[in-house]
Amino acid sequence: MARILRSLSVDGVTVTIAFVIMVAYFAIASPFFLSGENIRNLLVEATPIALIAAGLTYVLLAGGIDLSVGGVLGLSAGVAYWGLLQGLPVGVVVLLGITVGAVVGVVNGLVISGLGVNDFIVTLATMSMSFGLLAVLASSVTLAGAASEEFSEIARGAIFAVPTPVIIAVVLLALLEVILIKTPFGRRVYAGGMNPRAAELAGVPVRRVRFEVYVISGAVAGLAGVIQASRLNSVQDGLGSGYELTAIAAAVLGGVSLTGGRGSVWRTVVGALFLVSLSRGLQLLGVDPLWFTIVTGLSIIAAIAFDRIMQRVAASRATSRETPAAPMPPASVSEMTRV
Amino acid sequence: MNQSARQVSLPDRLSALIAKPSGGAVVLLIAICVVMPLTQPSFLTPDNWGNIINQMVYVLLLAIGMTVVLISGGIDLSVGSILAISAAVMADTINQGRPFIVALLLALLAGAVFGAVNGLLITKLGLPDFVATLATLGIGQGIMFLWTKGFPFIGYMLEDYYVLAGRDRLFGFIGAPVLIAAAVALVIAAVLRATRLGRHTYAVGSNRDAARLSGISVSRVKITAYVISGLLAGLTGVLLAGRTTTVSATMGIGYEIQAIAAAVIGGALLSGGRGRVSGAIAGALLLTVTYNVINIAGVSATWQQVFLGAILLLAVIVDRLGTLAYQRSLSRARVRSTATLA
Repeated sequence: MARILRSLSVDGVTVTIAFVIMVAYFAIASPFFLSGENIRNLLVEATPIALIAAGLTYVLLAGGIDLSVGGVLGLSAGVAYWGLLQGLPVGVVVLLGITVGAVVGVVNGLVISGLGVNDFIVTLATMSMSFGLLAVLASSVTLAGAASEEFSEIARGAIFAVPTPVIIAVVLLALLEVILIKTPFGRRVYAGGMNPRAAELAGVPVRRVRFEVYVISGAVAGLAGVIQASRLNSVQDGLGSGYELTAIAAAVLGGVSLTGGRGSVWRTVVGALFLVSLSRGLQLLGVDPLWFTIVTGLSIIAAIAFDRIMQRVAASRATSRETPAAPMPPASVSEMTRV
Repeated sequence: MNQSARQVSLPDRLSALIAKPSGGAVVLLIAICVVMPLTQPSFLTPDNWGNIINQMVYVLLLAIGMTVVLISGGIDLSVGSILAISAAVMADTINQGRPFIVALLLALLAGAVFGAVNGLLITKLGLPDFVATLATLGIGQGIMFLWTKGFPFIGYMLEDYYVLAGRDRLFGFIGAPVLIAAAVALVIAAVLRATRLGRHTYAVGSNRDAARLSGISVSRVKITAYVISGLLAGLTGVLLAGRTTTVSATMGIGYEIQAIAAAVIGGALLSGGRGRVSGAIAGALLLTVTYNVINIAGVSATWQQVFLGAILLLAVIVDRLGTLAYQRSLSRARVRSTATLA
């Protein structure tokens, strides 16, 4: 029993188990759930969320927060679609979307890491500005009705029955994971988030890394926006609102620490898949899709509460097993004074 | 030391003013009030200022609650959802034929309970403040969508409600919401300044561990702060529903940003331990005046959100630059004073 508890407290294990159980349940409850078509739709639906959550994971690992990812997704989608309506070639349109995202990321990074302003408030402000600019754009141009086969192919095409956006996402997510695990840059991201002062003393340019993760997060959210624009073949005012909640939920479900230094891209992706399958499965069972935000919110609370409890269990087991000379937790100090 | 303080140069003094909590907001407000009348004469009319004062009430009430939470070292992202749910409780209870006062009390209670849930999630389950309230923001929005099912609440306006919502105006421009907001501001300012709860709130926000070790119940202080924020958000919902005369599922979305912006512009620190009701008033006034200016200048309302974000960003940058410059001038003064001593 103790061993099971301990393995559950290993990051990412719980959400993977929960994911498998949930898929099994939905597969039994609705035979359609595991059909090729449903899986394809589910993966395409999960792509933008998984992408922005992966970018957000970089920021979280470095010890920051990025609330602007949803706004960036919406604005990039809008600007990219506007570019398409202007008759720009598809390659330029994609680059335009990514650039818009990267620019917002640069603004975030400069203000947060250059001036040392609170990351939370800065990305809240850029989120508001991004949604505002999308609203302004959408009110002056009708962002719909571009008849570009090439652009639609980004989200609707398929190679050997695997949808193109899924291939793009898998390649990019794998790349992001490899950079994080295998490169010096990735280790700097972890180090800066785990203990900024120690990392600084060890020669890690913590502030530059902070800047870079915001640019990465912005650019990835920009690409997610382009994919979303292609999938919907239109962009409406308010696209992307609430996505930051889902992205944070995905990261938290995957066991990414909000204080930095703990987590990885694949775990976040499992978290994103969990959330999207949950909503899709509930829809198949006839549950009102309006429940989705409630379920997302509740799963954030449940995931963190569960994580806390597991950590406490693991910590108490570790201290009771090890030598009594180990430093006492604060609770036992008060017990000693009482004696 | 006194002598060196007198030698501080003008730029240093200006940065010291901006470095003061809410100093930046006051400077910007004065600048707007000086420049605007030159181009738009209608800006300084009593009618326009009557509008500004009646409009700022909602942001102000939220900003006061947010300030209390920020002082305690937390943040409340769920105020928009609380506002909407309280408004819905109010409308639904009246539509069920219950007395006005019952509806009012239930709506306020709903806000306080929502705030208490936030506080319990944060202190008892150990969720980070912004995650807990982000989650309850989403949950509240979901509840609103499920509750209304796309049909907004209407037809709940009783005679009493019109009065409460500010239809009749004292001296032609002070509606009931303004009086309520003024009373709330006075009470909260007094609590923060002159009571033990107020001192404890500052203590918990500036150094949680020190506060705990000196015998303050951190959980109780934090839960109280969230209950105050929830209660004021509920009150805002009641007043706002009286003005809009419909309660839809999207009511209150984005209000948390305005509340945080007003509080932060007013000098509340996100890291806790600093903030004042007078600052929240300055912040709410600056935001409302800015919207007013945008309106008068004929800029489309869709730009509002962009400006809101820009003002918030500008405010925190100016605040940060001011603090940095002030610290630098302080250390320069210290160097100078040690030099004279030597």
